Parts: sequence; C-alpha cells; structure tokens
Amino acid sequence: MFFVIYIVGLSFVPLIHQTLLSKNAWLGYGTGAYALQSQRYFILFNDPYDGSSKPNIHINPYFAPNARISLLEFSDWTSWVNGFNLFNDFNVTMRGNQEILDVTYMRPGITLHKFIQVSPDGNGVIVKLVANKELTAHLELWKWVMSSVNGISASKVSKPIVIPTGTVINYTFWYRALNAVGNGSILLSRNPTQIEVWPFEDGFNKITVDFINSEMSLTVSGSMSTATTPPFIWDYSDLPYVLPVVAILVIAVYLLVAWHGKQKKSRSRSSRS
Amino acid sequence: MESKRKVVLAALAVRLALAPFFMHAGDVGTIYESSIMILKGQNLYDFVYQRTMQMQYVTGLPIFFEGYAYHPLLIYFFAPFYWIYSIIAGPNPVMIDGHYPALPILVYPWTPILLFFLKIPIFLADIAVVYLLARSDLKKAELYAFCPYVIFISAIWGMFDAIVAAFLLITYLTYEKNSFTSGVAYGLSLLKLYTIVLLPLFVVRLIGKWRELAMFLAGLTLTFLPVVYYLIVSPTSFWNVLVTFQGTRVMGGVNLYNFIWIVPDLRFDLQVSAYTNVLLVISLVLLLLHFGRKGPMLDAILAFMLAYFLFGRVLNEQFLVSILPLMLLCRECDYRLWVAPFVFIFLRSPFYYFAVPILWASPVFYSYYLSADTIWRGLQAAGYLMIPMYAVGVAFSLLLLLNLQRILESTPSSVRFGELLRSISRTAGFQSPFSRVRVLSRRVRILLR
Repeated sequence: MFFVIYIVGLSFVPLIHQTLLSKNAWLGYGTGAYALQSQRYFILFNDPYDGSSKPNIHINPYFAPNARISLLEFSDWTSWVNGFNLFNDFNVTMRGNQEILDVTYMRPGITLHKFIQVSPDGNGVIVKLVANKELTAHLELWKWVMSSVNGISASKVSKPIVIPTGTVINYTFWYRALNAVGNGSILLSRNPTQIEVWPFEDGFNKITVDFINSEMSLTVSGSMSTATTPPFIWDYSDLPYVLPVVAILVIAVYLLVAWHGKQKKSRSRSSRS
Repeated sequence: MESKRKVVLAALAVRLALAPFFMHAGDVGTIYESSIMILKGQNLYDFVYQRTMQMQYVTGLPIFFEGYAYHPLLIYFFAPFYWIYSIIAGPNPVMIDGHYPALPILVYPWTPILLFFLKIPIFLADIAVVYLLARSDLKKAELYAFCPYVIFISAIWGMFDAIVAAFLLITYLTYEKNSFTSGVAYGLSLLKLYTIVLLPLFVVRLIGKWRELAMFLAGLTLTFLPVVYYLIVSPTSFWNVLVTFQGTRVMGGVNLYNFIWIVPDLRFDLQVSAYTNVLLVISLVLLLLHFGRKGPMLDAILAFMLAYFLFGRVLNEQFLVSILPLMLLCRECDYRLWVAPFVFIFLRSPFYYFAVPILWASPVFYSYYLSADTIWRGLQAAGYLMIPMYAVGVAFSLLLLLNLQRILESTPSSVRFGELLRSISRTAGFQSPFSRVRVLSRRVRILLR
C-alpha cells in the first residue's frame, strides 16, 4: 500500500513543478539548455552544442494555453558579428538568474552579451545585444512561415527583398492545427542599416536584420486569434497531467492481475483438496 | 560434442556474428577513447573532469560530461583487445566523437573490426556465465545464452554488464568455499559501482568467521589498489568523476522515477533525486536485519540488488543483466523480468541508432537514418514516447517489488522482520487495507468451517 501511494504521489511532481515552481524563471536542464515559461510566452535557449533556437520564442495562445507555437527563432548558426559566426567562432557562456538569461559571446577583442527576458508588462520578450565596441552585425530571425511581413505578401515575391528600414517589423502567420491566425511584431531599439525578407514556398521563412552599433534590442511580441472553436491539440506540456493517470492505470492493472492470480491459485488449491 | 559445449559455442557464435554491425555510439565510443588514452599512459579521470569543468563553466549548470566514470580496472579488460586491433589496423582514429548529443564519424572498413575486438571481453564474460550455469542446469544456461535481452545488451549495445554478472555469479559461487576468491570477484563486480550495496551483506555475514572475513577483505582490497593509486595521483578528478557524478545523478531509467525527465529544471531534479536515497537506505537496513545472519545467500544477494533497483535513483536498461544469472538460480524469482527493460530500450533509443555502423556505411543508408530520425524526434518532442516509457518504468518497479516480496516470504528472518514491519506500521498509525481484508476473510473461513 505504501508503494502504491509512493508511486502515485511522485507522479504528481511534474505537475506541481509546472504549476507552482516554474513560472517566470530561467531554468537550466539537459546538456545545458535553458527555458522560461511566462504567462504568455515559452522561451527556449538551446544547449551549447546546437546553434538553433538562440532563443526560440513561443507563444501560448489564450484559447489553447497548453500549445507552444513558435513565434520567432534566433539562429546562431546563421548570424554573424564583424564577419564571425556566432556559433562557430565565439566562446560562449550562459548564466541564468531568475528573470534574465545572460549569454556572453567572446573572442579576442569582442565581448557581446545577449540578455533575454520577458518585458516587465509580460507582453513581449526582449532580446538585447550589448557589445564592448561598435559592431557590424547580421542577425537572422526564422519563422516557418510568415504569410506577410510589413504588409508585403509572399505571393508577390520570388527572391529575397530588402524592405524599408524602420524600427517595427510586423508579420502574420497561419497555424493550421489550431485553425488560427497569428500576428508577430519585432520592435527594434534603433534603425538598422538593412532589413531583408526571404521567401519560402507560400510565405517568408526568414527576416535578416543588419546593423552597426554597440547595442540593439529586439522586443518580440505576438498574439493569435481564431474565428472558430479551436480543436484540442496535444502538446508536450500536457505530460504532467497525464503521468498520474498512467501511474494509476498501471497500478490498477497490476493489482487486478495479482488478484486474479491469487483467485486462480486458491481455486486450484481447493479443487485439489 | 557434449551439449554443454554446444550451448557455449552457439552463444558465442550468435554474439560474434552480431558484434561488428551494431553499437551504442556513446558507450562504445567511451570504451574506445579510453582504451587509446590508457595505452598512451594518459589519465582518464583528468580528461573527464576537465570536460565536466568546461561544460559547467559554459552553462553555469551542475552538469557532467558522460565519459569514463567506472572502476579504474575496467579499461584493462578492453585495452588489450584494442591493442591487438591497433596492431592490425594501425593507430589512426576510426570513431571520432560519439559523445551525446553528437553522432560519431566512422571510418571504414575498420569500424566493424574495431567493434568485433572491443566486444570480445563482454562475450567472454557471457560465455563464463553460460558455462557456470551449465554446470548445474543446462536449461538455465540456455535461457541466459539465448535471452534476446542479454544478447542485445552485449552484442548490439556493446555494454559490459555481463562482466559484472560473471563476477557477481563467481562471488556467490565461491562465497562459502573460498573467501579470498570471492572477495576478488566481488571487487571486480564493482566495475560498475551499483553492486556496492552488497558490501554490508557480505561483511555482516562473515562477522564471527574472522579468518574468512579477513580473506574476503584481502581479496577485495587487492582490487581497490588502482582506486588508491588514482586517489593519490589525481584525487579531485577521481572523486568528481566517480563519486560526485555517480552519487548525484538525476534519477530515472526503467523505474518509477523517470517522470523527472519531463521536468526541465536541473537544480530541482537533483534535489528531488537526493530524497530517493532515504528510502534506499531504509530498505537496505531492513534487508540487512532480515538477511544479515540467516537465509540463503542467493536470496540475500538478490533481495539487496532488487531493493537497489527499486529505490536507487538510476536504473539503466542494462543493469538487470548483472543479476540475471542469479535470478535464474533463484526459485522465487521470475527471470522474465528482462522483458520490461528490453522494451524500454526501444522506447528510449530508436533501434536504428544501434545500427549506425551499418547505416553510416553508405550515403543512401545515411539518408534513411535522417528520414527515420526526423519522425522519431517528432514523436519525442511531442512527448508521445514518454508516456509508454513511464508506464514501463512503473510496471517494472512493481514487478521488482513482487519478486522482492516473494524472496522475503520464502526466507526465514534473522530478526522477526514481519513483526518489525508491523510494529513500524502500528507506530506510524496506519494499516494496509489489504491486511484488514486478509484478516477478515481468514475469520470468515474459520467460521464457515
């Protein structure tokens, strides 16, 4: 009996952690990845062996809070500073405190910090780049796929195009599984030198931002809406709710089999006697 | 040909046929890398420790490099076979960087030959077990020799728990007859550290038989000499790699604790993992009271190991191999327990991962690997595989408990164990509803008579 209580009790640990302990704090796990779950956003910063998702900002729609839908992904594989690739040419350290993840990129002569946090009002995610000197930077921001960027639809474009520079980039996307439309926004702290969008299949999949400065902050925000009742979609974040059910089911089957076995044994004993 | 020899040769043939084509890249890669280093006279523990320090510096997290974290003697089982291989193939690297999460670069045609040689010590251990079992019961020898789980772990995975199994079996077989040999064998079974839980049992059993105890400890101490050497030469590295890493791992595996894999918070995971030690220690103390002085040695060893598997924080898929020969000798145990960890292997790692030496041999096969891996990773990322993994973990824990209960019920206790448990439950103020039902049904039966 103790063991049954022990198993069932422990199966609630992930749920307790998810609901009570994991909100609004950078938590490290696995081989060195970090993640933060806020009221509206789930942010993943991948481990040092992977140049993608640096970070990957997901939105949790209000009508499907369990779903994590990628809003924008920063890629170190495809971003450069002064001609040096952020993933291959820098030594990186990561330090997560409660609210801010500080990722430091270092190479001789260059120190660049990438600070990632949820904005104080909770409506956006701030990715702030601060360097020790003025840099020429090329950032690539990925989303599979955007239907339009700053009002430009992909149907009109077959090659990468440079769009007018400004401090706001708005984009829209369609999320089939939820039958929902999404809006994303990137607010830049300064005017970049160039913004380019890249077409892919029936939309855009990449926005590149070039700038020359020692500081740049990008505030990413988004929202989703649906006209119909969205279908239930399964997400990894549902697992904490499922494990207690699995534990109870397995125990029930075990007890049932054990009880059946005992019955069979006692029946065969009594028939022999 | 006598049937005993036939079984031994057939078991060896099956393993040798599979050996060159399969591997667990991370585990075989570690043995390969460590064999090279030891032949060059390098310090394995310093290497692993430096990598750990580097990872911790980069991430700011208490994570460990998963390299050679075993008894120093282990690598001397493999290094001679690597040396023979290197005479044939030369010193050029053939397996480059297979540490998780990276996949190795393999060089052909040498990789299959390397795998063939590196797995020979594991096969020799398997064969020793088959031979020793065949001396008492050929049927049991056959069950071990052709058990799909054992073959998979030894010949396909390339994991060496069969060596632990062989030495644990020898420890048991020689315990009454030759304490020194038993001590040496037990020391060698510590190549993987989990058999350390048996030490109190072996020692307590010999208290009073002072000569035997001295001989057992002398044998054991002999195997500890390399440990002493490393503790003198590189104490920080050795302690960090062997004790800190193994002692503070995040719980999980084929057990009820693998739910922790879905909690992406390493510091929290480590804290929760530490609490499992309390139950483990309590269960081992109770078992020591039960088996300390009386009861069959076989049952005692199995009870300790089952309790460790049940309450210990980490239970990897291959661990059960170590006690499978003893389970085959035990009347109360159900050796079919192996099915659970065997199923678990395929939920945790895709089968094609073990076929990397075949799939890496051609760009066409490699593209198949990538296609299959995309699907697999999709399932993994959605959490679909975690549900059956958790179910198998819980079911396996319940089956371990069942086997442990059977052993306890079948053996007389050196203290009144049942009464002790009852008094504890009375003190704690609870009684199992099942025991109430049992008492009630017994009374009803008496009345009916």
